[in-house]
Amino acid sequence: MKRILAFIIIFSLVFSLAACNQNKSKVENISEMEWNQILESAKGTTVNFYGWGGSQMTNNWIDTYLAKRLKEEYDITLNRVPMNIDDILNKLLGEKQLNTEGTVDIVWINGENFYTAKSNDLLYGPFVEKLPNFKKYVDTDSVEVEYDFGFPVEGYEAPYGKAQFVMVYDKERVKNVPIDHKTLLEMAKNNPGKFTYPAPPDFTGSAFVRNIIYDIVGYEQFLTMKADKETVKKAIEPAIDYLKTLKPYLWKEGKTYPATIAQLDNMYSDNEVIMSMTYNPNSVAGKIITGEFPETTNTFVFEKGTIGNTHFLAVPKNAPNKAGALVVINFILSVQAQASKYNPENWGDLPVLDYQKLTEDEKKVFEAIKIGKGVLPQDYLLSHRLPEIPAKLIPIIEEIWIENIPTEGE
Amino acid sequence: MNTKLKPYLLLIPVMTIILGIFTFGLAMGLAQSFGYFPAIGLKDFTLKYYMEILTDKGFLSSLKFSLYISIVSSILAVIIGVALAYSILQSKHKKGIEEIVYKLPIIIPHTVAVLIVYNILAQSGILPRILFHLGLIHDQSQFPSMLFDKSGIGIIITYLWKEIPFIAMVVYTVLSNISNKLSEVALNLGASKRQVFWHVLLPLVMPSIISSFIIIFAFSFGAFEVPYLLGPTAPKTLPVEAYIEYTNPNLANRPYAMVINMILTFFSLVLIWLYQKTFKLISKYSGGYR
Repeated sequence: MKRILAFIIIFSLVFSLAACNQNKSKVENISEMEWNQILESAKGTTVNFYGWGGSQMTNNWIDTYLAKRLKEEYDITLNRVPMNIDDILNKLLGEKQLNTEGTVDIVWINGENFYTAKSNDLLYGPFVEKLPNFKKYVDTDSVEVEYDFGFPVEGYEAPYGKAQFVMVYDKERVKNVPIDHKTLLEMAKNNPGKFTYPAPPDFTGSAFVRNIIYDIVGYEQFLTMKADKETVKKAIEPAIDYLKTLKPYLWKEGKTYPATIAQLDNMYSDNEVIMSMTYNPNSVAGKIITGEFPETTNTFVFEKGTIGNTHFLAVPKNAPNKAGALVVINFILSVQAQASKYNPENWGDLPVLDYQKLTEDEKKVFEAIKIGKGVLPQDYLLSHRLPEIPAKLIPIIEEIWIENIPTEGE
Repeated sequence: MNTKLKPYLLLIPVMTIILGIFTFGLAMGLAQSFGYFPAIGLKDFTLKYYMEILTDKGFLSSLKFSLYISIVSSILAVIIGVALAYSILQSKHKKGIEEIVYKLPIIIPHTVAVLIVYNILAQSGILPRILFHLGLIHDQSQFPSMLFDKSGIGIIITYLWKEIPFIAMVVYTVLSNISNKLSEVALNLGASKRQVFWHVLLPLVMPSIISSFIIIFAFSFGAFEVPYLLGPTAPKTLPVEAYIEYTNPNLANRPYAMVINMILTFFSLVLIWLYQKTFKLISKYSGGYR
């Protein structure tokens, strides 16, 4: 009898587990609520924050600063779930297929992933107009807030931080710092085997290729370009030819490339190459502090500028705690949170707030932060900042690179 | 309650979950490989993706590269592994340190093995540094490039380091269970040690060698992390190729990833079938020679 009972219990447990997800359907109409009501209903809840967890500094900032302040000020428990964006998208897609309530409240997203998520109806919105800090501090008409990799945001994501592509080099070993693609080629010729870049689709490697394209053929034509392989191929041909010319002087004669930026950083630390690159211009200071990079490490951008982009926060359509998500995102857009995030000791992520909109006291908060060794000042970066290529074109460029560069000459 | 049925009944709850998820995933993958993916608006069954992949030059070079790595590493692992097992059998102090030492690589995960190989063989690694300090090479780049190379040497070395002990362990267990009488009879009748190995011992362990060969072959053919971390930019092995297609933010690319996965699944099924065959062979042989 006992055994039969045990069977029944196990079976009922199994099936109730499978079924329980479908019964909860709280009817909460966030879009009609006032901000005060949203604050009230977010009190005492947990917010699940999904995003890239590959940087210890970033994780630390969220766990120690952000989570702690949210608990103190809004009684919200922040639960950080480290997950790569493609896995998050798959999770959201799977939940959509099963038509269940979700588990993700906030997702750290941008670029082609935002394009995919929004065009597959995975996101909640528009919501940014609800956030008091968005209206108060953010330049709502700027291209970088209205467009994400050329795709209109339309209020479906709020800016989180900014990044810009910079090249990393060692002052001791690179005497003539390149200023454009030509001088880069010269430098590579003078130091054969000592320079390389990660193979796209690695994020940073792909950005390097786009920067070369910009430096050679300009960026304006891409902003309205059709996502058609032949068109793109024709437009970037001079850049592909340049990369072919560069190839024999690269690490291992360009026959193979580091698969990830982490590997290139490693090779740079190991003296195997004399340059690296990064999409987070402030990360270099942190790496000098931890001793990963030599003290003489410095950064530069091309004279014509380099690509910058904004990363965003979005709320999934099936998020269980939308009110909590909005409160958290609003707090991230506050002066204190953005300033703490900008401090290289915490993270070093560039702020998204509009300087014109800050009061004198608020500006001083940012000015007091020391940006650290090897880092370019923010105004220099901003004056050398180019917009990203539309998301649709990026996979095409990566495809053309893979078909032309690594297999060339065989 | 029927005692024969009992274990199966007890397993039902967990197996419904495990097999349910497994078959569901496989069925979804199969449907997506035929272009049926309603969540993103693809609703027609088509063979288009199979045709495109199977005629793609990149895919064929990936397939070749995958087969090359798994065949070379598995054959070398079997040859060296059997030799190692035999030498352990021959050695006097069998229960010594070597038994722990040769089993150690089996426990260590593949990613750690990659790290070890990388640290030793990269051009900035330990071996080139030693050679440099000994004055045998004048520059790090004189050291032959073994990692991230089209020859796949780094990947093969990693697999060998993990697989030789595995083969040795399996073969040694079988060898040490074969009764000494057979070898002694052969020796008595004038056979040399070499003849005993080739004509008595090897045929007896052959079924286990074949089955363990199939295991490591299937593993290295379907494994992702070693070629991802140590492989060249092009060609990539099939699992790496499938992963890159899968993570493409354009969801319309998903069917390509699934086609590659289905091809990998097909190879695995063939290998499982072969494994079953050899297993039958083993059970036919075992018992008679004790």
